[in-house]
Amino acid sequence: MGSPSETDHLHMVAFLDRLTLGLQHAAAPVIEDAAFAGLRGFMAEIAGARARDGFYPSATAAFVMSFKTAFIPILSAEYSGSPERCQSEIKTLGDIVDQLAFLTFDAYATAREQVITRQNQAMLVLSTPTLRIWNQVVMMPLVGIIDTRRAQDIMEQLLMAISRDEAKVAILDVTAVPIIDTRVALHLTKVVAAARLLGAEVIVTGFSPEAAQTLVKLDIDLSRIRTRGTLRAGLAEALRFLGLRVGAIT
Amino acid sequence: MTEETKFAFSIHQEYDVYHAQQRALDFARDTGFRRAEIYRLATVVTELCNNLVFHTQRGGLFTMRLQHRSGRWGIELTVEDDGPGILDLDLAMSDGFSTVHGLGSGLPGSRRLMDEFHIESKPGVGTKVIAWLRQ
Ligand SMILES: Nc1ncnc2c1ncn2[C@@H]1O[C@H](COP(=O)(O)OP(=O)(O)O)[C@@H](O)[C@H]1O
Ligand SMILES: [Mg+2]
Repeated sequence: MGSPSETDHLHMVAFLDRLTLGLQHAAAPVIEDAAFAGLRGFMAEIAGARARDGFYPSATAAFVMSFKTAFIPILSAEYSGSPERCQSEIKTLGDIVDQLAFLTFDAYATAREQVITRQNQAMLVLSTPTLRIWNQVVMMPLVGIIDTRRAQDIMEQLLMAISRDEAKVAILDVTAVPIIDTRVALHLTKVVAAARLLGAEVIVTGFSPEAAQTLVKLDIDLSRIRTRGTLRAGLAEALRFLGLRVGAIT
Repeated sequence: MTEETKFAFSIHQEYDVYHAQQRALDFARDTGFRRAEIYRLATVVTELCNNLVFHTQRGGLFTMRLQHRSGRWGIELTVEDDGPGILDLDLAMSDGFSTVHGLGSGLPGSRRLMDEFHIESKPGVGTKVIAWLRQ
């Protein structure tokens, strides 16, 4: 590894502050001592942030271990007159860093799990509402992840809405779906086919220009799906399909 | 920029793919990629990571990092697993081939979307893809 980054440097300084404070007040150099609470909390925070950012756990461990070697020149200078004292101080600090490395690893794992749980929950609460936006027109905005489970939800909800509202047109808006990959595309074509069996036409709206470009490269053929760039254009298309037109009041 | 920034994600379930996709979008955006390239990169991440979820039992590892190649900055993706491997690589790299009733364009499409694409696979050992997109 090369020179530490600026944040690493800031972390170093904050780390040293808390370590010194701990050492001054701790009864013994064990990390569980109340005097090290600040240091423990700080390391947990760093480990958590690194977990969320997708750093390797080994990189985080290496970061903690790097403190060990960082002390040596400082202590050697400080205790140049007493090599024994110097050795024992290096050992004390080394022990503390070792204990910290374990704590940090635990904190890393915990943070990783928390991220996953939180995200799973966030995903589950995202419902798939269908809105009746016109006579015989239903609309469903898709938001976020479309995994297998949500794809099933979308299918069920949309078919239910179509039959409940006797819809002739269903608009699926994908503006808020971050990436349309081949699986999402396949789900979309299945929804379109099923809706047709119920006598409804599906219009997919909200493909971005980047999505369109990428889909072409992926060799995904959407020519059998009615698409419109914007929700507005999709609604106009739906009305045209029903033989309706919205005009100014004269 | 530096080549030291590296991100690693273990991918087991569909949600992990979404997480990786979001991080790839952020990374490419922060690195100054243009909109179309950001979308491309995240699409390839999604395709390759989905393959970990749907074509292996235990999932695999996805990493991305900045990388200089022939005088240009770009992002390198590595996706690897110790799963069943691919029996006929040429077939798997052709459009429309899928053993799971998928669209079968994930691998060939990813190759077209990236500037460099390398795949190796050994039945019973695993599969590894290394790909690179220029900024
Ligand atoms: N990581 C992998 N391990 C084993 N087999 C794979 C892997 N990735 C792809 N394959 C095989 O290659 C085929 C083509 O993959 P892909 O082009 O992504 O299409 P799809 O995922 O839609 O089937 C898959 O159906 C599968 O048989
Ligand atoms: Mg695939």
